Amino acid sequence: MSLPCGIRNYSYATDTAIIRTKTQWTLFIVFLLIVFTFPFYFPRFWLDVMNLIGITTIAIIGLNILVGYCGQLSIGHAGFMAVGAYTTAILAGSYHMPFLLALLLSGVSAGLIGLLFGIPSMRVKGFYLAITTIAAQFIIIWVANHWTDVTRGSMGLGVEAASIGPLIFDTEASQFFLIISITVLCVLFATNLARSRIGRAFIAVRDNDLAAKVMGINVFAFKLLAFFLGCFFAGIAGSLFAQWRGHITPEDFTFSQSILYIGILIIGGLGTSIGPIIGTVFIRLLEQCVTLLAPLVERSLPGIPSGFATGLSPMIFGLIMVLFLVLEPKGLAHRWNLFKASYRMWPFSY
Amino acid sequence: MEQLLQYTITGLAVGMIYALIALGFALIWKSSRVANLALGQLVLISSWFTYGILVQAHFPVWAGMIMTILFAIFLGWAIERFTLRPLIGQPTLSLIAVTLGLGYFLEGIVIVVWPISVAKLPVLFPQDPINIGSAVISQEYVWAAGISLALFILLSLFFKFHKMGIAMRAAADDQLAIQACAVPINRIFSLSWIFACIVAATGGVLISSIGGITSALIETGFKSFSVVILGGMDSFIGCMVAGPLIGLCENIGAGYLTSIIGPGIKDLIPFVIIILVMLFKPYGLFGEERIERI
Repeated sequence: MSLPCGIRNYSYATDTAIIRTKTQWTLFIVFLLIVFTFPFYFPRFWLDVMNLIGITTIAIIGLNILVGYCGQLSIGHAGFMAVGAYTTAILAGSYHMPFLLALLLSGVSAGLIGLLFGIPSMRVKGFYLAITTIAAQFIIIWVANHWTDVTRGSMGLGVEAASIGPLIFDTEASQFFLIISITVLCVLFATNLARSRIGRAFIAVRDNDLAAKVMGINVFAFKLLAFFLGCFFAGIAGSLFAQWRGHITPEDFTFSQSILYIGILIIGGLGTSIGPIIGTVFIRLLEQCVTLLAPLVERSLPGIPSGFATGLSPMIFGLIMVLFLVLEPKGLAHRWNLFKASYRMWPFSY
Repeated sequence: MEQLLQYTITGLAVGMIYALIALGFALIWKSSRVANLALGQLVLISSWFTYGILVQAHFPVWAGMIMTILFAIFLGWAIERFTLRPLIGQPTLSLIAVTLGLGYFLEGIVIVVWPISVAKLPVLFPQDPINIGSAVISQEYVWAAGISLALFILLSLFFKFHKMGIAMRAAADDQLAIQACAVPINRIFSLSWIFACIVAATGGVLISSIGGITSALIETGFKSFSVVILGGMDSFIGCMVAGPLIGLCENIGAGYLTSIIGPGIKDLIPFVIIILVMLFKPYGLFGEERIERI
């Protein structure tokens, strides 16, 4: 299918491998090497941006499982991230739990909350479910704002930098290694999940849930599993976010963030394993461009209104989201695949 | 007891405004099966536009109202023409996501054009309070409730008897069949968005003439979703019943629960209602349950 000319598979193992040819292996290893040596030639500022990219990628991977593969639209992903972030802040902060355990428990707690709000998916879908997840977002953030004994409301909670045994991740570079390693693991897990029986069942539920039921798939169980997994990743992302940022408030997980995540997923490409990565990198870098360029534009053109710098980024982002849906609904991942195909076929494109 | 009467009356009046905004949602859903999640932002931008016309450009009130309606018509037409029409036939997910992106875009425009975050519209209605028994209610609320009731009756009659209204209902039922009957489906969708924007603008002006213009209007839009969900998505009468119900729950709940749970409970109640409705009666009080076939 996506093999270069003249390459054949001689065993089942090579047929199912994700990376199949020597060239692909070389490219993959070189890519990983380049990524993991970023701290040596990028300044701190850009490492920080890349940390954010890593965290967002994990969240989007979760959203991709839920929305892209299983077709259950969730517009409350930032809320589920908040659950993970607060779990880490409380467990690691107040109870001094080791970071890895807190990370795992954050994922599980976010997953369980996700399960709770996924229960209505038994009877409804589409817009009704989207509204439920919006309600989930508002309820979770309301609790974070008002359960002041535990979350300290809008004051927020301080979180120490993560540490595993003697390793303490308190610099940008060490944070980078921690976050990117976990991101790579998550990407690997999600890619393999999508190829497994579970992933195929998700896709069947997405494409036609009634037909999937007739085929013998327990639709409700798989929907709930998708909610659990999707929110589990959100919890992991939230946990990493909490220890990376060092301080969390409910303001970090607003409804706008949830929309942003949906947008990133759409721009990257729904139901693909490369989509979340491309989308996140694209949007986060665009965000940096806007924050860097907006003051420049404001200074050089004195006539523009004073809200320009703050309003520009939601405006551009909303516009891009609409444009992608109208012009390129399959997202950047589709473009990437087209590029790969044309590269593979070159120079004989037939 | 006196308190209860006060909460009830305020709740009913506020609920009528929620119902009006929810009508804007039901209009679009009824004719094109598109869920408009940019409702709050539409309310926000039309309130700010009214502010710009009346306060910043010093137009008289009647001219300002006409300009607001014209703006709403233009907005509705532009949204349908440039975002929804290319997406006809796409999956639900794209249709929902496109309105989300649209909302984000509109919010950005509001921030760019009106960077002041709080403003007050000039007084549109007489302000003297009205006494009902022992309860007191500001006259603005009564006006707002009256206007939303009038709009509801107009829209219901339109959908029931006018040729275009019947065509709109038919379009919601089966798009292919209605195209085969040579009904201009593009015009129907366009018209439903225009109506929805006018309704949203009216709701926006009413609500912001009472409470001022803040970004909380977006949250008001989300609260109206609880009205839509409780009433049933494709039912006008559902909106008009559920709106006051939600207003009642919000105000009575806030009145009695604040001392138990703490401040801010008011903002939580509509969302809890959404979850409860989803769990127990997902198609709402008056909604039509659709049976799917493969």
